[in-house]
Amino acid sequence: MIEVNNLHKSFKSKKDTVKALDGLSFQAKDGEITGILGPNGAGKTTCLRTLYGLLSADEGFATIDGIHVTKNPLAARARLGIFPDKFGLYERLTAYEQIDYFASLHGLTGTAKKQAIENVLTDLDMRELAHRKTAGFSQGQRMKVTLAQALVHQPQNFVLDEPTRGLDVMSTRVLRNYLSKFKEKGHCILFSSHVMQEVAALCDRVIIVANGKLAAQGTPQELCDLAGETQLEEAFVKLIGSDEGVAA
Amino acid sequence: MIQFKALLLKELKEAFRDKRALMVALSMGVLLPVMIMVMSKVMINEAVDNPAIYVKFSGEEYAPKLIKAFKDENILSFKDVPEDEKRNWNERNIDFIIPDTFAQDMSDGKPIEIILRAEYGEKSLASPLRRIRDVVSDYSRSIGFKRLLVRGIDVKLLQPVNLQEQDTSLPTSNALMISLVLGMYLMMGAFMSGLSISIDSSAGERERNVLEMLLCQPVSTVKIVLAKLFCSSIIAIISITLMLTLTSFSMNFVDLAKIGATFNIDIMTTLTLMLLLIPICFLASSLQLFFAFQAKTFKEAQSTVTMLIMLPSFVPMAMMMMDDKPAWTEWMPISGQSLLMEDIFKGLPVDWMVLLVTSGATLALTAGLVFTLAKKLTSEKVVMSLS
Repeated sequence: MIEVNNLHKSFKSKKDTVKALDGLSFQAKDGEITGILGPNGAGKTTCLRTLYGLLSADEGFATIDGIHVTKNPLAARARLGIFPDKFGLYERLTAYEQIDYFASLHGLTGTAKKQAIENVLTDLDMRELAHRKTAGFSQGQRMKVTLAQALVHQPQNFVLDEPTRGLDVMSTRVLRNYLSKFKEKGHCILFSSHVMQEVAALCDRVIIVANGKLAAQGTPQELCDLAGETQLEEAFVKLIGSDEGVAA
Repeated sequence: MIQFKALLLKELKEAFRDKRALMVALSMGVLLPVMIMVMSKVMINEAVDNPAIYVKFSGEEYAPKLIKAFKDENILSFKDVPEDEKRNWNERNIDFIIPDTFAQDMSDGKPIEIILRAEYGEKSLASPLRRIRDVVSDYSRSIGFKRLLVRGIDVKLLQPVNLQEQDTSLPTSNALMISLVLGMYLMMGAFMSGLSISIDSSAGERERNVLEMLLCQPVSTVKIVLAKLFCSSIIAIISITLMLTLTSFSMNFVDLAKIGATFNIDIMTTLTLMLLLIPICFLASSLQLFFAFQAKTFKEAQSTVTMLIMLPSFVPMAMMMMDDKPAWTEWMPISGQSLLMEDIFKGLPVDWMVLLVTSGATLALTAGLVFTLAKKLTSEKVVMSLS
């Protein structure tokens, strides 16, 4: 379970101050997929980076399974699987070696590690890729490797920052199926995206962020009802109060 | 420990698969022995053999005996120079002028003025000029002695004090040159071999967007920095080991004693040098990582970190220039090691206390850099510049 409480964060430069988060609060519960929607610059990535413990909030706090992220970042991160905004791969390593590396970083060893790697390779249907170096992988293949390395330790919580960018239909479907399966096992999934259909189809609850604040939350249906629209996209535009960022 | 092992293993795997960076690192190790060997060979040839010297004599017909004395020492007339060396000797342009009154003055017992004209600042002329001077003074002395002898005077009277020079430490200038180059090259090797690996594992990872992913893992940044430090230090250590082993092997083919060198690169010296240089490898890697991590791109890192090359090249040079070295230079990183290396090459015994202190200071500085860098990596500034 991921909880964000009254997060404030501003970035100061010599010329001006940008308020990225302005009292954002929400919860992502276990056994649910929670989507974060918001226009560009709404504070999604800042919020997620605060969750990873990379940034510290000016005010408020975030917890992962009750562990305070700023006070105990290593313990909090151990319960987290991360699919970051920009993901790169170690191109001189094979896919298997990368997954092995991240498994070891999460403290897995010996047969437990081997078994965990085998499981994730089977789940993501990527055995054929496993022993190839990742240089020259396609976007979909890269996504699979990143997903595998984030999930090899079976984290209770899983955060994805716009995972479907640049993916074809087949890869998107693989990802969706996997997330659904993962949810059924009782894990907590937090998912930021720009693609309305995807959020509508996949998410149990949706959080709409605008200007660093919570604009609205609820199931996709509830949001549509709230805005008096039939399509989530229309509801989104209405709820954030402008059509800025929807085109992205 | 599991984490550190995984981090280090991954760094090493990446480093050893980066063929180009590895080649740069190890080529330094292979080049040094070849260079030192060629250099010594050339110097020994110059110092020991008596290569022909071609002098532009004028008035050689006035002093046939002096010319013969020259000829015995392989100092020949420019007229006899072989075609392929003509240009060289023409440029060196050594003039030797014998006056036409030579024979007359000789028989009258008057002092004779002979002129040797050349560019004395030219390094390649140092040895030929010395030889010409030696021949003339030997010739002059032998005639002087003969004159005294025929007058019934013991020539020993001319030498009331006889100075016997016994050189205990200072090698001749040639050997000094070799040891200077060797010392500088070893320092350079320790300093620069891990360079490309350090840049690749820091600025390179940032550019390839893998650093953020790593910083999000439940690993302390100290471990991350240490793993990268050990990886590039290991590469540098491999490089200097290769360098020293090959140098010591190739030196077997060169007799350094011929040019007055008082050191020998045997196993003991090799081990001492290794002991001296390993802390330098760590310090160098930590400096490289420190600056490379602050750079935004690979290219920026390359230009910043390359400036570090000044440290291993300027510090030993400054040490050479300084006549009165303050005490702190003995234990300061880099200067301490270069002074110790100078001692080793002079054939002096190693001051183990100094070695211990300077190694300690070097490692302490390394640790300081590692912890500062680890702290910096947790700062928001670094995170913000990730994208």
